[in-house]
Amino acid sequence: MSRPGKLNKANIFEMLRLLLIVIVVFVVLFPVIWVLLASFKSPGDLMRVPPVIIFEPTLINYDVVAREGFLFYFRNSAIVAITSVALSLLVGVPAAFGLSRFSIKGIGGIMLYVLSVRFMPYIIFALPLFFLMSRLGIIGTHGGLIFVYIIISLPIVIWLMKSFFDSVPRYIDEAAALDGASQFRVFWQIVLPCALPGLATVTILSLIFAWNEYLFALILSGRDAQTLTVGLTRFLGGMETAVRWGMLSAWSIAVITPVVLMALLVNRQLRRGFTSIAGD
Amino acid sequence: MANKKNFEWQKALIYIVPSLIVLFIIAIYPTIHAIWSGFWDYHLHRPDEWVFVGFQNYLKLFLDSRFVSSIGTTFLFTFVSVAGTMVFGFLMALLFQKSFKGKNTALALLTIPMVMAPVVSALIWRVFFFEPDVGIVNWLLSLIGISGPYWVSSSPWALVAAITVNVWFMTPFVMLIMEAALSGLPDETIEAAMIDGAGYWKRVWHIIIPLLKGTIIFTLIFRITIDYRMFDIVYTMTRGGPAFDTELLSLWVYNVALRTFQMGYANAGAVVMMILIGITCLLIVLPVIRKKGELT
Repeated sequence: MSRPGKLNKANIFEMLRLLLIVIVVFVVLFPVIWVLLASFKSPGDLMRVPPVIIFEPTLINYDVVAREGFLFYFRNSAIVAITSVALSLLVGVPAAFGLSRFSIKGIGGIMLYVLSVRFMPYIIFALPLFFLMSRLGIIGTHGGLIFVYIIISLPIVIWLMKSFFDSVPRYIDEAAALDGASQFRVFWQIVLPCALPGLATVTILSLIFAWNEYLFALILSGRDAQTLTVGLTRFLGGMETAVRWGMLSAWSIAVITPVVLMALLVNRQLRRGFTSIAGD
Repeated sequence: MANKKNFEWQKALIYIVPSLIVLFIIAIYPTIHAIWSGFWDYHLHRPDEWVFVGFQNYLKLFLDSRFVSSIGTTFLFTFVSVAGTMVFGFLMALLFQKSFKGKNTALALLTIPMVMAPVVSALIWRVFFFEPDVGIVNWLLSLIGISGPYWVSSSPWALVAAITVNVWFMTPFVMLIMEAALSGLPDETIEAAMIDGAGYWKRVWHIIIPLLKGTIIFTLIFRITIDYRMFDIVYTMTRGGPAFDTELLSLWVYNVALRTFQMGYANAGAVVMMILIGITCLLIVLPVIRKKGELT
């Protein structure tokens, strides 16, 4: 076919394709790169039109962010996200095992309901939960938000872990059962370790969704449990006050850094997780 | 036989019951509560004074032009966003189909915007791109002699801006799903078509798309439901304004409940919202199920 280095039609097309790919990746990443640059700009450089690309970097914005209580919000987000995901795993992983291993009537229905929770308009849960939580007096507490966040992660945990358990061949548990292992031991010591990579994917995926959540946090986090995403919108300014660009950029970068790092660290598995949430 | 089935249920119950209880408290109970309170009238700050109004809330909804236009806006927003992400995502996946050096890195880079909080993305776009005086979009437009609009605060442009951000945010999702599906296709069918002399786009249209039908339908449902319930991006960008131009259904429910405090009325709206998306999903899925004769 086409020899490398020779300018024939196939080679030109291939070069065009690669060029297009570079452009596409750049367009997708451009806003992120832009904010990353902006977060190191001084107030003067930020307002320049046309925008400047070469400037003297400064850490002043990060300094301000730290003084504006970033750690308070960070702590809230971390507590809520990590605990709710842990709880979801605690109840969801055994459920996924049960749904994968026992041939019982109604499994299809349960799975469909779990899936529909993932795709339901969350606002329908939000108002009744607000009502319920204010009755219990747990609006604005970590505990309340943790519990609510299970809505986000539990469907992901059950749905994905079931498919990971399904891919662990059943003769493995049958062999173990023949050796006299109890059902729970089969689950805990045999099947779960086989599905460990899946478990890692599910955990990280759930953490990302919980970390990024906004609607529930906005309605239910009150003042004391406010998360990073809610804290961020304070810098937007109202109709009267000005946008605080520098701080907003630094805050944004600080919010996304942990998730982006996690995402890049286990990227291949994460991509599989993302696509199977929608496509499995 | 019946005994064995019962036994299986008993064993399975221990594993499943905790999840079912949790699901009941955080999902089933709230849904029932929403449906129930849709028949009542009560104020957010007077949660003990419920007045039964029956179907009046629902009647009011359909005479409420703000609610009706919110349905229209939501459908428009969803339709354009889904169409945009599906087309761009699919084209991007085709672009990435044949392997190349650095493909893995490129795909990894594409996941970065996807894992960012939608609120962060929306803010970035609003502040750095759509800001009328110093934003990049208007600066670029000025280079070709156009004076750009006040994006997030002027009439059709707020919706255009919101859809743009949403398409940017969601396209990589679709791209990754399609890319994974494409790489799972059997090479022979595509090669056979190549030998038949079919042109590239003809191959895509007549062979690749029909092969991906299942993936496409699932992606459609996923995309439609996510855009339909959209809250964070649009709320962050426009708060539903100008006037009620970008007030999607989620925003309508939020605004009615937390700005005018009519909880029963807001819940009735949320129930209508849920019913509409349920019907939409059924309309998409039913023909497929009927053809296959089974679920999943």
